[in-house]
Amino acid sequence: MLLKKKILFASGFVLVVITLIAFSLFSSEKRIDFNTQVKPILNKKCISCHGGVKQQGGFSVLFREEALAKTKSGKPAIIPGNPEDSEFIKRLKSSDPDERMPYKHPALNNDEIDILSGWIKQGAKWGNHWAYVSVKPTELPDIDNDWIRNDLDKFIFAKLEENKLEPSKTADKATLLRRVSLDLIGTYPSDELAKFYLNSKNEQAAYNVLVDSLLASPKFGERWASMWLDIARYADTKGYESDPNRDIWSYRDWVIKAFNRDMPYDRFITDQIAGDLFPNPTDAQYIATAFSRNTPTNDEGGTNNEEFRTAAVLDRVNATWEGLMSTTFSCVQCHSHPYDPFKHDEYYKFTSYFNNTRDEDVSAEYPLLKDFNDSLKNELNHLTGWVKTVAGKESAAEVDLFLKTGQPAINSTTADELVNSVIGNHNIALYFKNSSSARLKSVNLENVDQLIFRYNCSKPGGTMSLHLGSPNGPVVKSWKLAQTKGYENVEVDFAKQSGVKDVYLKYTNSSVKNPDEFMVYFDWFYFTKQFPGKGMPEYVANKKRFTDLMNAKVPTTPIMVENPLSMQRKNYVFERGAWTSKGKEVKVGVPNSLAFAMPKNAPNNRMGLAMWLTDKRNPLVSRTMVNRLWEQLYGAGLVETLEDMGTQGMAPTHQELLDFMAYQFMYKYNWSVKKMLKELVMMATYRQDSKVTEELKEKDLFNKFYARGSRIRLSAEQIRDQSLAVCGVLSNKMYGPPVMPWQPEGIWFSPYSGAKWVLSGGEEQYRRGIYTYWKRTAPYPSAIAFDGASRVVCSPRRIRTNTPLQALVTLNDSVYIDLARKLALRMEKVGGSTSKSKIAKGYELILYKTIPQNRLKVFEDLYAKAFGEFRKNSASVSAFMGDKQKKFKPEEAAMVLVANAMLNLDEVVTKN
Amino acid sequence: MTRDELNAHRLIKEAHEANARLNSRRHFLKESAMGLGALAMGSLLGSCGNLFSSPQTKIAYDPAHPLLPKSPPLVGKARSVIYLHMAGAPSQLELFDFKPELMKMDGQDCPPSLLAGKKFAFITGVPKMLGPQANFAKYGQSGALVSDNLPHFSTMVDEVSFLKAVKTDQFNHAPAQLLVHTGSPRLGRPSMGSWVTYGLGSENQNLPGYVVLTSGGSFPDAGKSVWGSGFLPSVYQGVQCRSEGDPVLFIKDPDGMNRDLRKASIEAINKANEQQYQEYNDPEILSRIAQYEMAYRMQISAPEVMNINDEPAYIHEMYGTQPGKACFANNVLLARKLVEKGVRYVQLFDWGWDAHGDNPNNSLNIGLKNKCRTIDRPITALLLDLKQRGLLEETLVVWGGEFGRTPMMENRNGIQNPFKGRDHHTEAFTIWMAGGGVKKGFTHGETDEIGYSAISGKVDAFDIQATILNQLGFDHEQFTYPFQGRPFRLTDVAGKVISEIVA
Repeated sequence: MLLKKKILFASGFVLVVITLIAFSLFSSEKRIDFNTQVKPILNKKCISCHGGVKQQGGFSVLFREEALAKTKSGKPAIIPGNPEDSEFIKRLKSSDPDERMPYKHPALNNDEIDILSGWIKQGAKWGNHWAYVSVKPTELPDIDNDWIRNDLDKFIFAKLEENKLEPSKTADKATLLRRVSLDLIGTYPSDELAKFYLNSKNEQAAYNVLVDSLLASPKFGERWASMWLDIARYADTKGYESDPNRDIWSYRDWVIKAFNRDMPYDRFITDQIAGDLFPNPTDAQYIATAFSRNTPTNDEGGTNNEEFRTAAVLDRVNATWEGLMSTTFSCVQCHSHPYDPFKHDEYYKFTSYFNNTRDEDVSAEYPLLKDFNDSLKNELNHLTGWVKTVAGKESAAEVDLFLKTGQPAINSTTADELVNSVIGNHNIALYFKNSSSARLKSVNLENVDQLIFRYNCSKPGGTMSLHLGSPNGPVVKSWKLAQTKGYENVEVDFAKQSGVKDVYLKYTNSSVKNPDEFMVYFDWFYFTKQFPGKGMPEYVANKKRFTDLMNAKVPTTPIMVENPLSMQRKNYVFERGAWTSKGKEVKVGVPNSLAFAMPKNAPNNRMGLAMWLTDKRNPLVSRTMVNRLWEQLYGAGLVETLEDMGTQGMAPTHQELLDFMAYQFMYKYNWSVKKMLKELVMMATYRQDSKVTEELKEKDLFNKFYARGSRIRLSAEQIRDQSLAVCGVLSNKMYGPPVMPWQPEGIWFSPYSGAKWVLSGGEEQYRRGIYTYWKRTAPYPSAIAFDGASRVVCSPRRIRTNTPLQALVTLNDSVYIDLARKLALRMEKVGGSTSKSKIAKGYELILYKTIPQNRLKVFEDLYAKAFGEFRKNSASVSAFMGDKQKKFKPEEAAMVLVANAMLNLDEVVTKN
Repeated sequence: MTRDELNAHRLIKEAHEANARLNSRRHFLKESAMGLGALAMGSLLGSCGNLFSSPQTKIAYDPAHPLLPKSPPLVGKARSVIYLHMAGAPSQLELFDFKPELMKMDGQDCPPSLLAGKKFAFITGVPKMLGPQANFAKYGQSGALVSDNLPHFSTMVDEVSFLKAVKTDQFNHAPAQLLVHTGSPRLGRPSMGSWVTYGLGSENQNLPGYVVLTSGGSFPDAGKSVWGSGFLPSVYQGVQCRSEGDPVLFIKDPDGMNRDLRKASIEAINKANEQQYQEYNDPEILSRIAQYEMAYRMQISAPEVMNINDEPAYIHEMYGTQPGKACFANNVLLARKLVEKGVRYVQLFDWGWDAHGDNPNNSLNIGLKNKCRTIDRPITALLLDLKQRGLLEETLVVWGGEFGRTPMMENRNGIQNPFKGRDHHTEAFTIWMAGGGVKKGFTHGETDEIGYSAISGKVDAFDIQATILNQLGFDHEQFTYPFQGRPFRLTDVAGKVISEIVA
């Protein structure tokens, strides 16, 4: 025994010595960095067979504990400190093709093997991917130069120096004016503001004023909401078959207002994720939650509501991760993440946050927020105030929630144990014939003495009854069910109940002869307490208020409302991502690997989730947003893959700068988007000229080092809004239902849908692109041609393409011909007396600058040619001018043709 | 950008150019007529993530020439695809899958074994069995069974490979159509035509590479999402060509503008853009110049090819066209013309095949027969016409719906439907392919004696996608696009080439 101990001691001692020697030996070697040196090799060469999806031989390199664990052979493949004995390295070097890894793929080169060996020697330490570590203060590069205008420039300048590149000079005023206006407000500024800047003597000071004015413009919100609506997959229809209308534009307006008010980004996210969970949510907070109700829903006959409810929940999870955290979490739906440290069950823990809302894919889109007008709002306030005094705060809150949202009601589509009854087309509503019954499962009846329900009954003389536990169980209530005119809301009182019980609905109508005839259609059931304060003063008036508000026909918006405790759903892992194969049960939670805990006091619901998202320790939310803002200005993010900041995303071009901005955004600017944007557009980097020198073409074609300004094609919205502005017709009207500007015939052709594109009149024709009606299965053609997102799922990034179909839009779309006519009119009016001066004026209206002589010549020639052709053919003149009744001069038509050509110039559809 | 990344760009570009040089002479002749377009050679747009992708992705996306023809990685037998989708799902039991046993059960209650644990779109409770509502006979050397709903087509069975045991897991139209064409029942994935044009480009730069034609009075149930480009660049989305209005949206010059003026205006735009290029040196400007030229040529080519009036009378007769109307026969003739001109993927949707029996137009013995009459001659003519032009071998023709129909008669909401009709059915239906290197006069797969379940040769949407890609020269497992940090493929994690029908 003693002997053994000694040996153990001795060998332990030897080990320590060896370790010490090893340490002293290798510590002089260059430290190998896991993130930048090891992880890329693992991802590229190993992880597809040894990662989140497959673990061949029981070996995975995704997490350290997995990589060091015993493999199928019974031994670990990686022995920290000992690459020679690590099977992992042996296999990389093996000469036996059956042994050598990567199996059946080219061998790793010596450099790669050296890195991996060295890394094991140094202890096989794992590193956290940079984007999964909380943002810390970044040191500024120690650099000084006259070119630099703010701290952000220092990072850019340092990298330029490193790469022996020089920044470009500042762009001319006209170019800069157009650039910063398109970037900040998505269209052109007022003529006064433009003149002020262009005529300014002190450019620096004027630029500052220009930027502040643009940030304060109400158009700012419209421009940035366009970006956000791609994340929110906002559309004016539901998607799928008949793709019916969805009134959710209040949400779009909320986003515009939030950007205009400069709502702090943390608050912006919180309201959208969990606005309904504030103690007394405002209407605006409810409407913000429509963020999650923008999911497609499916009303097609015979679809399973639960299937598409589940699809919507998963869509919310994916949008939260991709849009707010640049993480491809959807990979984890079917299996653990192949490359990033997220486990399969973590997906479903996270899903659980979104799995407990009242929406159930019913075609009415419940829950809906009722948009009461001011007088109805007064009524409601009066009513809830009264209820509070007679029955207390809780009752008042219940009444308030029900009148505003109709919740928590049971959708009739969830009824089961159907006897002689059906759920129409399996998804519409509960239908009853004579002698029908159905069950509402597990209804919370505690203190309940009233049922309010919505139904439609085509026959008089029937009797309805409620039973507990079984169709023939104790009767709660039996009453004559009145015939209705369409759907009506009705209240039925009964004796006070208790507990959670199954409620059976029964209906008989002996006057009906046809056993197959349906006659009662239910929409929803709301079990509640009778209206309080019976016998008290003002009871009658307030009771009437209640009924009137309940039945008020007002506009609505789909929103999120959380299930009450009694209606909570359980959460499960879906095996291989299939919603029909539910695995183990899970509780709400966020992934472990993001290395910070839930904030204290965070509840286990979406509000807790919002607190976690907006906690300053969250490594992804701030980085994602500043990266997105950068992308909006420069055409590419510092991390180009906006949808993925994980290990498979593209590496940041300027990681320190990204982190610096992310820190600034949270700590210096308290999540103010306007302040952050101001910081960005004040940069010297941003203000550079965008000409490409031969040197830059050779060294940095894609402008990754920012030695010049970026040139990028305008977005679909910017192209429209800019054209409207330069042609002098842009409507300043904000908000409200979507509009239908001109679009060709035959774009809308959904089955089972009578929906028509009805041209909007007057000013509505010239509203900004953000207000154009967006039908998911048939989006506005010219917007789609310019790479508008289809808005069926969260789209973190639009990939710009350059196609002949885009040219056809701006050349031939009636919208653009109409605008060319308007522009020509302006040129005529303010362009002096000669065709030459008019052309020059047109160019100036579009680009704020004097037309170069050679360009002028091109358009003068075009004008002459057009004039010659039109003069020969007066019929073509009136046809081209779009009004066959009116007389036009060939000069006018020729100028329209020139205007059309000018609106098609590369420098016009591009931000220079 | 690191040196490696720059090199990667160069290599991809070089490979791409080499590839383009290798491509057909015909293409090169067309390109040389481009004039100014040649200027656009050096153009590259801001980089895309896909250029730094995993090694298995060999396809270079060149934003300046996204549709230049590319060679497939493997030897493909088909050069183009015509996919005829009967939206609404035609009944296999009245067309190709003859079940005499089902006739014997006609009118009987459906046995509980067929209902237990099953979900249907509309059937509720216990429906009645419904015998075949058509007469069948064997045709051709292959002896394939075809019903009297398709008398013309029955003469073509020796050109066709039937897949009689196709399965799906989606019993609603929109999701099922999405699954067939995008590999996912949810919205948002690229369609097959987008994948194919992304992988192969187009042989005709004056026409869209991927054309969609619809008929039947409605779009397919999933709308334009079934020809969307999903996460692929939007240049690969299907372009809808129409037989009414502009054949391609915005292709027509504005009223009162003649071709001369259009030419002059595009020349002026391009001249000004060249001046701007001199000033800015941004290759993207050259790319825009090329696009405007292409638009001009497309304005000539598209209306030309979309005009069927020039076809000889016997062709009109053969297809049964109705010039001036939006109909399936016209679209099928157009499909032939488009393929002939080098369009890569022509997708047809004909709506109105959803024979539930809730009204006469939707019944098996009236509505379905009428629908069959509108497709019988055109599909027959298409195969004959492609064959006589020597195009059938290089054109893969696919015909099918998104799911099958039940051997039971539909009883919507538990009440027997007023006309003979069948509900949606996922477990077995028929799709056929012809040309493009598939076997002739062949049948793969069979269903049980009442046509309820597939019993052998089961295939699904992914297998069909894998097979179509295979015929075009792609290994569906290697044909990927990097998105969200991983290589995505049309067939996701499934799919097996149906080698049994590959000639």
